[in-house]
Amino acid sequence: MITFPGPVSALVTLPVAPDRDGIARVLDLERFAREELPDLRTTIPAFNRLLVEGSPHSWNATDVESRLAAGAGACLAAAPGIDAGDPVSLPVCYDPELAPDLEAVAANAGVGVAEVARLHSGTTYAVLATGFAPGFAYMGDVDARIAMPRLTTPRPRVEPGSVGIADRRTGIYPAAGPGGWRLIGRVPAAFFADAAERIARFRPGGSVEFRPIDRDEYEAGGG
Amino acid sequence: MSPHGVVDRPGPFCTIQDLGRRTGRRAGLAPGGAMDQRAYLWANRLLGNDPAAAALEITLGGFALRFAVETAVALTGADCAATLDGVETGAWRTVRARPGQELRLGYSATGMRAFVAFPGGLVVPTAFGSASAVVRDGWPGLLGRPLRAGEPLRWREPARACPVRRVPRELVPPDTASLTLPLIVGYEWAEFSNADRERVFDAEWTVDPASDRTAGRLAGPALGSGPRVLDSTPLVDGTVQVTGDGLPLVFMRDRPTIGGYAKLGSVDPIALDAFAQARPGTSIRFARADPDALRRALARRERFFGIRHAP
Repeated sequence: MITFPGPVSALVTLPVAPDRDGIARVLDLERFAREELPDLRTTIPAFNRLLVEGSPHSWNATDVESRLAAGAGACLAAAPGIDAGDPVSLPVCYDPELAPDLEAVAANAGVGVAEVARLHSGTTYAVLATGFAPGFAYMGDVDARIAMPRLTTPRPRVEPGSVGIADRRTGIYPAAGPGGWRLIGRVPAAFFADAAERIARFRPGGSVEFRPIDRDEYEAGGG
Repeated sequence: MSPHGVVDRPGPFCTIQDLGRRTGRRAGLAPGGAMDQRAYLWANRLLGNDPAAAALEITLGGFALRFAVETAVALTGADCAATLDGVETGAWRTVRARPGQELRLGYSATGMRAFVAFPGGLVVPTAFGSASAVVRDGWPGLLGRPLRAGEPLRWREPARACPVRRVPRELVPPDTASLTLPLIVGYEWAEFSNADRERVFDAEWTVDPASDRTAGRLAGPALGSGPRVLDSTPLVDGTVQVTGDGLPLVFMRDRPTIGGYAKLGSVDPIALDAFAQARPGTSIRFARADPDALRRALARRERFFGIRHAP
């Protein structure tokens, strides 16, 4: 489906699940758009959608629609060109003192906190979207056993490096701020100190692994 | 390097802004940039600057700058009864200053943001091709915070000859107690109820005081919350999102790049300039927009101000 949310933009929603294959197909469509559409200024891939923004001097909605429709058809017909690259590996301390929802997620799953840590760190995740804040990545899919909806009322302050779960997505808060994801662990804050590094860490379609660390290693990493 | 001027008083919220961050949106960076781009563009044009030269955005006024060199500045945007050493300067014009003189802005009676541009533009750090400060993005230094009292400033060409110029009176945007925002319907528009879709164009809202550089919030009749959006969706400038309380908000320059609530569409990007100057309590209505007319207006603006986009 193609819609036009602004005067020089088009939003394509591919009829695929918002998962690793879905974002890979969206990235295929993004490459197609970059080659086939003139004067593109911005492209934003997220989950199963692609936003393209063009120039007001050359934008022709009818032409953009027909080219994107053709491109989307080609991307759906072919196997997704997955290019996950080397996984980004991040240490996570799963400790209830650092993660206020860890025990609730464990109780909800009917397992211990160690099992939550094992299940959460036992998967290689795909980055399905970046955004919300610079350096924030929506990753999936979380094991269904530890999936939980976000809090009804967001916390006014989440500490930087907090690892959260929302349904079958996981993500890390790069900076302090309000947030409603269920917090189950913490990456040492030093990983989020440098703005440029933080912003460059995740890219849509990339892969991410979590390595459980104990409290000592967490503290040694700067807490 | 000695400063060309020192900010004696920054006022409630004064930041460095330009046309905004054209790149980095894919990485989640806010566009940033002058809230009222028309006023900002005029300030640079009056001085013959590059249209993307870094300038000051002064929220509500209360600002003072002491010059250390002979130079000129341009003042546009909200009228803050500016004075130079106590003599009224007027606005939407260039002002020449001598060393030791102080430019003061009072508190604006109408409008939200004044702009001060400098010959050649401010000499300031950039990230992703822009000097725009976006506090919520966590950049270091002036890229991530408002100016402080005593802040030294330098600009590229302090001694450049700048003739006295004024924006023609008929081109200075009028103050207004009510605004109609052209709305391109889109995103989840079709999934809102019929009653809600009618209400969007019938209802009258007012600008809520909780508005900021991220979003202009509207107070007034609540809509149904619309469809549940499962995954955050890429946003365009001026996206109108309806949060859980049923009230619309209009995303502004420091907006996120993706959003997870139901959206009605987006406001004409050019109309965001007047919206950026709307004081709390200003009456707001929406009117259905013709997207291609807005596209042509954007193209005219880019040609008029000489805005170039690097590929």
